[in-house]
Amino acid sequence: MQMKTLTRAISVAALLGATALTTSVAAQEQKTITGGFDVGPGGFQGNFNPLAATGGFTWLNVYFEPLVNYNADLTAIEGALATEYSVNADKTEYTFKLANETWHDGKPFTSKDVKFTVDLAKNGETGTVFAARLNAIASVETPDERTAVIKLSRPDAGLLASLTKLMILPEHALAGTTPKELATSTWWATKPVGTGPFKFKQYVTDQYVELVADDDYRLGRPKVDRVINRYFKNTAAAVAALRAGEIQFTYVEPDDVSAFKDNKGFKVIEGQSFVVNYVGFNQQVPLWKDVRVRQAVMHAIDRQAIIDSLYGGAATVANCGYVAKQLVPEGLNPYAYDPAKAKALLAEAGWDKINGSKPITWLTYYNTPQAANVMAAVQAMLAQVGINVVPRVVDTPTYNGIIYAGNPDFSQFPLVYAGLQNGPDPSGLNIGLNAAQKPPAGANFLRIEMPELTKALDAALAETNPQQLNTRYQDVCKAMNANLPWATMWVANRYGVASTKLKDFVWVPAPAGGPYNAHPEKWSIER
Amino acid sequence: MLPYILRRLATGLLMLVALSMLVFVLLRLAPGDPIDAYINPNVAMSQAEMDALRARLGLDQPLPMQYLAWLRAAATGDLGYSIQRNGVRVLPLVLERIGPTILLMAAGLVIAILIGIAAGILSAVRRNSPTDIGFSVIAFFGISSPAFLTAILGLYLFSVVLRWAPSGGMLTPGAPFSVGDLLSHLILPACLLSIGHAALIMRYMRASLLEVLNQDYVRTARAKGVKEFWVIMKHAVRNALLPVVTLIGSTIGIAVGGAIFIESVFNWPGMGLLLINAVDTRDYPVIMGATLIIGACVIVVNLLTDIAYAAIDPRIQVA
Repeated sequence: MQMKTLTRAISVAALLGATALTTSVAAQEQKTITGGFDVGPGGFQGNFNPLAATGGFTWLNVYFEPLVNYNADLTAIEGALATEYSVNADKTEYTFKLANETWHDGKPFTSKDVKFTVDLAKNGETGTVFAARLNAIASVETPDERTAVIKLSRPDAGLLASLTKLMILPEHALAGTTPKELATSTWWATKPVGTGPFKFKQYVTDQYVELVADDDYRLGRPKVDRVINRYFKNTAAAVAALRAGEIQFTYVEPDDVSAFKDNKGFKVIEGQSFVVNYVGFNQQVPLWKDVRVRQAVMHAIDRQAIIDSLYGGAATVANCGYVAKQLVPEGLNPYAYDPAKAKALLAEAGWDKINGSKPITWLTYYNTPQAANVMAAVQAMLAQVGINVVPRVVDTPTYNGIIYAGNPDFSQFPLVYAGLQNGPDPSGLNIGLNAAQKPPAGANFLRIEMPELTKALDAALAETNPQQLNTRYQDVCKAMNANLPWATMWVANRYGVASTKLKDFVWVPAPAGGPYNAHPEKWSIER
Repeated sequence: MLPYILRRLATGLLMLVALSMLVFVLLRLAPGDPIDAYINPNVAMSQAEMDALRARLGLDQPLPMQYLAWLRAAATGDLGYSIQRNGVRVLPLVLERIGPTILLMAAGLVIAILIGIAAGILSAVRRNSPTDIGFSVIAFFGISSPAFLTAILGLYLFSVVLRWAPSGGMLTPGAPFSVGDLLSHLILPACLLSIGHAALIMRYMRASLLEVLNQDYVRTARAKGVKEFWVIMKHAVRNALLPVVTLIGSTIGIAVGGAIFIESVFNWPGMGLLLINAVDTRDYPVIMGATLIIGACVIVVNLLTDIAYAAIDPRIQVA
């Protein structure tokens, strides 16, 4: 009897298992693109408030829109919700002509929404990360429904770049909520109303967000009915879903690229990361005061060999904070790999007395296998010339907690391996290098005080003539190359992989996910 | 009995307070806070901006004040809001994750019990046969394979290569709910979760049954002419199951740990994934809330177990 029961139980279990295994993924009747749009370094999972977003703009920009946006090459800023804009002679007044658009709930989009959004973004109570970036804005005027005028108290060369990240919000939907309540409002993740080509339908916690096509989108109804953003705990899980055919796009680590390159079912999308990787010298410890020691570090590391062997050639050597041709002047010191010269420089500087072979902690938040290999290679190269560095890999919160501590313990990060956004707006480096940006004012956590560099950065930031801007940033590059606040390494490429079923799909590995005009309304998928 | 229960409940309450204090202190001792987790190091932010965000969240207050504010709210059933998820209240967030974890654990254990007991019986009955050796080899692999390896290999083999099951999640995104869809997402993580437990149960069942088969009453049953099948099923298996049942009870705790790992690999929306995400992002209120509720569950279950023991066995004096 018991055997019978046991047999029955096993049979039922087997049947259930077989049923489950053979149940195919539910057929999608509508045209749907599913992707891991928030996977990787540009992604930002879990927080849907664009005022507080420090990443994830690839996805936010599918249902919200900024006034202006980068083009898909990240080479120029162009219109988005503003069809055109003009700037007055002294660069203190920006006039935006607005598109004729309606919010997803049918209400008209007007210049009042622009004023409302800028005011919110400047109000610290909303949890905004824009308050400091927009502090040059004195007022926003709305002469008519289709015109918004932003007036500045002083010229701000970075204003348009900041505005690309500011998603315009509906006054009619949010005016009834106090700024403080907005910071913790569930509206962002339950019923946000935007102007983008897709409308928010639902968010299933930690699983996915589903958007549906906005039939009234001004640039035409999207070609697919739905776009779904699936969340993954890590890149490997997203890659598995891509290979299993469950999603059609995800960011991938460089190590995964080879698995897709020769596969006709996938297309590898390659692009510059716009993040310069560097070995950063903490100026609060006595190790790196002498520029000859910093030069020795540069000469000791065979950057091209690392790029060739560990990046598969997909990175560009950086001799300053920039690699973009228009920002790199002629005549920079290339700091060619030369261990003998490195040893000589260290001897001249008296390295034996400064530190000798004592271990130096090398702190980083980069925890991928590729980064581990890179650090091991650099560690070995530095050891050859007599610099004994010991990598310490921590997670991002720990790293930030150490370097941004109110009263930092500098011995915990005498040397760092890190990266900083160097484009598309080249002013991104200022916050980490300008002497005026030492904490708490900015993020110059290495306490770099190099007058020539600070002067060059200040001049670049104050430049209002677009024709002169590149020259100013070339001066920054020169100052970096000569003073070596960091041992600049390279700007690596990043990768996404898309199914070849996707048509007219645009993705760029932009820092923080962009934003950029990806025109999701044009994305399509073969059934 | 009532005074005992009340005393235990009062002790449990104190333990919960102590637990929350311990977790609070440990979290604050760990480097990095929710704002540090929030910042992408490649896109720098000034310390002044970070300080403003900290002030808005009350993270600039002295630690005792922060803890007392949390405790005061928790006493009224308000576990606060998740810092990293706009406006989501912690209590419903945690409660909605308990169900998926129980479902995954229960499915994994049921599969493990069915396979483990069946394989154990076959191994014992056919001792030293190719079947026994085969099952034993598989069991050794099952016991010695770490959960992270079996989970990742299983994901690759069954989802990526064979495409027998979805690679993650609990339901197909955007599809209407169906039991079949749920089962198709459940079966692979549940099977992978069951591997280690099934192997352990199989080894225990085999050893226990072999011991029982040598007992006098089994020999007597055979001597009386009872068919071998009934000797095994009616006389031997029933008695051999006792230590296996004890083992199953003790593996439930281990299953929780395994479920947490499987959840992170398969993006299963349970307590494990919630806690791992919360720790990654230093989401203090979620970590505190989840720990408090798990702690409360353990305390209540322990109390119920003690009461049940006392009710079943009069020799145990609970008062």
